[in-house]
Amino acid sequence: MNTKFDLNDDSLVVIVGSGAGGGTLANELAQKGIKSVVLEAGKRFKLDDIENDEWKMFGKISWLDKRYLEGPARLAKDFPNLPAWIVKGVGGATMHWAGVAMRFQEHEFRMRTENGTVPGANVLDWPITLKELDPYYYKAEQKMGVCGTEATGMPFHGKSSHYKVIEEGARRIGAKCEQATLAINTQIRDGRPSCQVNGFCMQGCRIGAKWSTMYTEIPRAEATGLVEVRPQSMALRIEHDKQGNVTGVLYADKDGNQHFQKARLVSVAANSIESPRLLLNSASPMFPDGLANGSGQVGQNYMTHTTAGVYGEFEQPVHMYKSTVVPGIVHEWKDNDPSRGHVAGYELEVLHLGLPFMSAFLNPGKSGWGRELADSLANYDRMAGFWICGEDMPVESNNITLHPTEKDQYGLPVPVVYKTDHINDTRMRNHAYDRSTELLEAVGAKKVNYLPPYPASHNMGTNRMSRHARDGVVNRWGQSHEIQNLFISDGSQFTTSGTENPTLTIVALAIRQADYIADQMKRGNL
Amino acid sequence: MKRTSKEQPTDLGRRRFLGRSGIAVAGIGIISSGLLTPAAWAASAVGEHASATLLRMARDIYPHDTLENKYYAAVLTPLARKAGKDMALKKMLAEGVKALDQRSQQLFSRNFLELEHESDRVLVLRAIEESPFFQRIKGDLMMGIYNNPELWPRFGYGGSAWQKGGYINRGYDKIDWL
Repeated sequence: MNTKFDLNDDSLVVIVGSGAGGGTLANELAQKGIKSVVLEAGKRFKLDDIENDEWKMFGKISWLDKRYLEGPARLAKDFPNLPAWIVKGVGGATMHWAGVAMRFQEHEFRMRTENGTVPGANVLDWPITLKELDPYYYKAEQKMGVCGTEATGMPFHGKSSHYKVIEEGARRIGAKCEQATLAINTQIRDGRPSCQVNGFCMQGCRIGAKWSTMYTEIPRAEATGLVEVRPQSMALRIEHDKQGNVTGVLYADKDGNQHFQKARLVSVAANSIESPRLLLNSASPMFPDGLANGSGQVGQNYMTHTTAGVYGEFEQPVHMYKSTVVPGIVHEWKDNDPSRGHVAGYELEVLHLGLPFMSAFLNPGKSGWGRELADSLANYDRMAGFWICGEDMPVESNNITLHPTEKDQYGLPVPVVYKTDHINDTRMRNHAYDRSTELLEAVGAKKVNYLPPYPASHNMGTNRMSRHARDGVVNRWGQSHEIQNLFISDGSQFTTSGTENPTLTIVALAIRQADYIADQMKRGNL
Repeated sequence: MKRTSKEQPTDLGRRRFLGRSGIAVAGIGIISSGLLTPAAWAASAVGEHASATLLRMARDIYPHDTLENKYYAAVLTPLARKAGKDMALKKMLAEGVKALDQRSQQLFSRNFLELEHESDRVLVLRAIEESPFFQRIKGDLMMGIYNNPELWPRFGYGGSAWQKGGYINRGYDKIDWL
């Protein structure tokens, strides 16, 4: 638990980030006897720090360092400094998630082949297939405790009132709807309790029924004595030697003192804004465009999923907050059927917000006020609805760049995020709005509200995996095409976003990557 | 009305703000007589007219006709209290109210408080909604109304549930109208 490694110990793996990717990788490597230091920018929280309070948790755990969001999308106007809604803390974004754990569909690994060239998009097939990933999905489901799967044998949560409303609407329009496979215990399992339906899954589960690396992978990794987690340690740059291999990570501790931790191998798992940012900030005479960036793809193809909210108002109470946050999914439109007017698919994820967040997101931005909004909020208890989650087209100009002049508290250039819709995203969202409305009205909604996208919790693609070095940043193992001892272990390695929430795939890839790293070390290649 | 040196802008805040606002604004709710304390530090911080204007404005931003004034005042009072010490805020509030009245005069030849129809007031407010003044009031109200645990039962929201054992045995699956 209290393992301390020397800064000059160059036999270590240094992992930047402790979330789904970094936290999982650290534990998987530790179980194989491989030592690592985890640099986590945020603090270490305890279960007691988790409250059933939306704004308090937002203020407590969110990544709120300065960022700019640019582009013509409404999101940039409504949230000019908050492109992403992710976490700064040990456990990373596995604190802030609803537990939705779905595997990618087979075709989602080869969207280029499926659809050919999509004008204006930079679509590529993944260099791996579902078949290759399936065994790792199974391991990930076991590790995370995903209910409703063969891997755990745990039953679903049971149908909440919110779910029942949507299920009935789906039935009436002939759409497929199922309870969600969630990484939330429905039985006492793996040292964690069963869900008691607090209704606050997203911002941290108070009782630890939902999987988070904060209280699973991290303490287990530490218990091996082979892992040291250093909270409040912000990675500043990755250094390399004359051969172009990385040698360690310069970071700032909580007092701003800088340290250089030597490394045998570096894994970057800091989420899809910070990961490319770190590579770009590590530019050197040998790598003038940033590490691993020979293709120019570092920071490009930023994807968030095509999202929006849809909430119907009914005549009778639903009390949607008395439910797991995502009790079910309408799967009807998750396939790739261009006859709908868009390529790729989307899920309608039954999802509730509490009243505080509903007031902020029902009509966000400066003009979100007035009687219509207030009347809808007065109907809060009679609402039911969705969060739309669809595949987002990779577009090169949706990207992460460094601000030319402005620096953050660490002295690093502030990240600038540019993100706007591809026309396919807009068409998909409109299709989803229409089908949602049809579903909600079929079960009696008197009014249906369309919520524009809010800051992204699914961030992907900015260090993407590719078969050829010219098209992407990492190979099929998440290993840099250019620097063999540099790995990407988070969602930034996604080649395309898929329709499904990214966490399960990140974890599956991290388990697989750990196998590869261990094997390569054994062979003397790393 | 001047604030005397003995009065501190602490506990008195909410009700005194309410008191002054209630006098100035007719027809927006019953004010219990016990709250009609004459010396209003809030009013003295931003002026009696401004206090009344802010309350009217607050009720138009998030209009819930069944919510008592005290909930809106509870948002404005700390703001006015802060303005007593924060000159920049005081200036923003004073100038914001002035700009609101100016816009109202332009459109309807009357001050904002004298506009009887909600639709007229909304027109004036829409014209200034981009201003930091409006956004500050709106932001504080959003938190004060919708993030106020005292009001959550009125909106049918349950708030923190873990300490009550969640909803697993408290009706998470109950619905009788499908």
